[in-house]
Amino acid sequence: MTSLEPIGVAGPRIDGVAKVTGEAKYAVDQSLSGMLFGRLLHSSRPHARIVRLDTSAAAAFPGVHAVITSADVGDHLYGRRIKDMPVLARDLVRYVGERIAAVAADSEEIARRAVDLIEVEYEDLPSVFSIDDALADSAPILHPDYGTYPGSHPLDAPSNCYFEHTINRGDIESAFAEADLVVENTFETARVHQAYLEPHASLVHLDRGRVHVWTNTKAPQAIRDVLAFTADISRDDIVLHRSTIGGDFGGKGTPLNLPICYFLARAAGQPVRMVADYIEEFGAGSPRHATLVHLKTGVMNDGTLVAHHVRFLVNSGAYAAYKPNGVIGGAPRAAGPYRVANSRIEARHVYTNTVPGGHMRSPGSPQAVFALESQLDEIARRLDIDPLRFRLHNLVEDGDDTAWGEQFEHVRLKETLESAAEAAGYDSPKAPFIGRGIAIGDHGAGGGIGNAEVVLHPGGSIVLGTAIFDQGTGTYTTLQQVVAGQFRVPTDRVSIEVWDTDGTDNDSGIGGSRGTRVNTTAAYEAAQDARRALIALVAERFDQPEDQIEFETDEVRIPGRDPIRWPDLLTEIEEPVTGRVHIEERSPARITGFVAQIAEVAAAPETGKVDVLRFTTAHDVGRVLNPVGHQGQINGGVVQGIGYSLMEELQVEDGRVTTLSFGDFKIPVATDLPPLQTVLVESEHGVGPYRIKGIGETPNTPVAAAIANAVCDAVGVRIFNLPITSEKVHHALHQREN
Amino acid sequence: MRITVNGTTHELDVPASRTLAELLRTDLDLTGTKESCAVGVCGACTVLVAGRIVASCITLAAQAADANIVTVEGLASEDRLHPLQQSFIDHGGFQCGICTPGQLVAAKALLDQNSTPTEDDIREWMSGNLCRCTGYYQIVESIAAAAAAAVLGD
Repeated sequence: MTSLEPIGVAGPRIDGVAKVTGEAKYAVDQSLSGMLFGRLLHSSRPHARIVRLDTSAAAAFPGVHAVITSADVGDHLYGRRIKDMPVLARDLVRYVGERIAAVAADSEEIARRAVDLIEVEYEDLPSVFSIDDALADSAPILHPDYGTYPGSHPLDAPSNCYFEHTINRGDIESAFAEADLVVENTFETARVHQAYLEPHASLVHLDRGRVHVWTNTKAPQAIRDVLAFTADISRDDIVLHRSTIGGDFGGKGTPLNLPICYFLARAAGQPVRMVADYIEEFGAGSPRHATLVHLKTGVMNDGTLVAHHVRFLVNSGAYAAYKPNGVIGGAPRAAGPYRVANSRIEARHVYTNTVPGGHMRSPGSPQAVFALESQLDEIARRLDIDPLRFRLHNLVEDGDDTAWGEQFEHVRLKETLESAAEAAGYDSPKAPFIGRGIAIGDHGAGGGIGNAEVVLHPGGSIVLGTAIFDQGTGTYTTLQQVVAGQFRVPTDRVSIEVWDTDGTDNDSGIGGSRGTRVNTTAAYEAAQDARRALIALVAERFDQPEDQIEFETDEVRIPGRDPIRWPDLLTEIEEPVTGRVHIEERSPARITGFVAQIAEVAAAPETGKVDVLRFTTAHDVGRVLNPVGHQGQINGGVVQGIGYSLMEELQVEDGRVTTLSFGDFKIPVATDLPPLQTVLVESEHGVGPYRIKGIGETPNTPVAAAIANAVCDAVGVRIFNLPITSEKVHHALHQREN
Repeated sequence: MRITVNGTTHELDVPASRTLAELLRTDLDLTGTKESCAVGVCGACTVLVAGRIVASCITLAAQAADANIVTVEGLASEDRLHPLQQSFIDHGGFQCGICTPGQLVAAKALLDQNSTPTEDDIREWMSGNLCRCTGYYQIVESIAAAAAAAVLGD
């Protein structure tokens, strides 16, 4: 028998059958009759003036229906927050891969051949690829008109640094002067792609004054608004229909080619579908940012941290457009959940002539945590204090301010770290060249706007309406569990109706572990609302006060009468009962979720090869709504972290990404994974009606630092830049010997 | 050309350059087979040709002429999921699902030739199928559970 308490049960995914039979329709599977295929011409130069662009041969090619350039895409710049990117390049390109022109044709092949016929003549301009070069006095300014862009903040003087923010606490200079030891290091992280296996895809159809869109976005309302602004049309004229999303990891909040696809469909007068290939994805997608993190830390001989200076420099690429907030966070996490009275945290975002960065799983955090947790191990070693004890000595507790001046509630850092250490056998003896490394992190469930509708139908079926497009994590199943739990019915009585963007005015969509927090709250409240409406209906019909009416599964008990079944009652009156809510929970969660990880590695002293032998991940969790889905987030996050640590890098030469296929951009495969031990440190505290904590980000953030620290423990060399390849370890070992 | 997919034989007139993935997805509207990397690396487009796993994105349709092809759409019987499909649902063997058709077809080929694979056998065999969501643990678990259930005659 199916349990009537579905919360906390590993119920089957609502989309399970569709996904294992191949029935699920993704954006790449959508097609319409008369549909054309769109392809792009990308810049081959990192920074150049376009002195001639001739599309006449392409336009004349048989089977081509439209060729568009910047002249055909209106006057608006494009961007999620900072609107700094032309839909198609206007006389100037700022990175290799920038979109210059687009073709719509009868087939992919014709479109591809037509693109090859477009002639471009460039006049090269000086380029900057690294943060340091972009900040040099002699650097060319990539965006001299920055201050005129919608969504930008005016700068004092033209600069490639388009955003600067500093948090100061205490007196950092005196604290450094008084510290027993000051350690200063620079850490560097590579640019990586989200590596979802479904590329960006859009299908646009203009039909009787409405723009119909199928695209793989997790933020449909925001993307509709961006398209409306860019195309200069009303948001009400656009509707985004649901498609199944084939992986996101942050990358599917950026519409990428959607505005171009719209302008192509408009020019051709026919539906157009554009599917990115992986050359485009890797070369001109929206990758996780490369960063430079300078850390200077002052500490006393007893291990007490007294001063910490973060300079967090983000290589933003040529545009800020793909970032939902124009910038990424992360800088405070380079100070972490540690008690340190004197701190300065500086974040700077810098334009360079490289592929623009976007969001990827906990934007900014893996970079910051790699730097901080590596730095702390270096300090512990210098002080000859065990890294575990050193951390335990400095972790924040309830009532402590963090380095950036906030306080967490119900802090469970020590329990989480100690349970990781115990599970990992942290203190047990090790063979030579085996090392163990610790790293910790935190991430609160994000806030946002959510909507839900619960409809109780005659006969007893229940339909949950939602505006979110589940990107694969299983949010629909969690919402189904919530509603089934509220009515004490088997989960299969609840189905999900996914609204297109006409279904609501405003909804944040998926991101930042928001789904489980905002949308379970919305589903819960909509179920409560439907329940109240049902009680009111029964009360009126049987002329009883509402507080005398009780529910038990489908039975409604009314004093002095035989119980009735609400499915039958609704059949009798031939009407459904509806509950609907719109909630706004924007504030960041004060109750965060902590993570502590311990990597055990073998590092080969001859070759520098690193093998992860064992990985332990301990999570401070609230209520786990679906154990299989929850563990899936942990597993996937850790393995992505292992890829980030050891192998993943979008290599860039002269501004050009050279790892342009899954053959060159290596991600972990099934033989790369170590035995994984998960520890859940359960807590009564969390956010929302189910007291949950987010789990999407935390498994991913500390992995690289844990592995770097384990490598150092194994062979005594510190790798300051990701990924930790055999070559780097070997080189560091060789350098030490000489 | 003549091609048999999931037991149904089709007569088609296609250009010589047509890949098997395109033929399945476009000409036969069998969109369960996914095309991702397009260079035969990721495994999303895996189908069985005469019982062997093949990357359909880099296989010409003509190479599969007259052979029996099995795609994800051919795994379930009319009223019942294939045990691997059910096991992927029960054990969290997918999240976004884009790689799942290829994973299932590859796993079927493994169990067809080795009904009692060890965990290492499964990892080794499945190492040609990328997945970015699950970290593979629950995929390996799903396949192992399906194999164990088959041995027990469930």
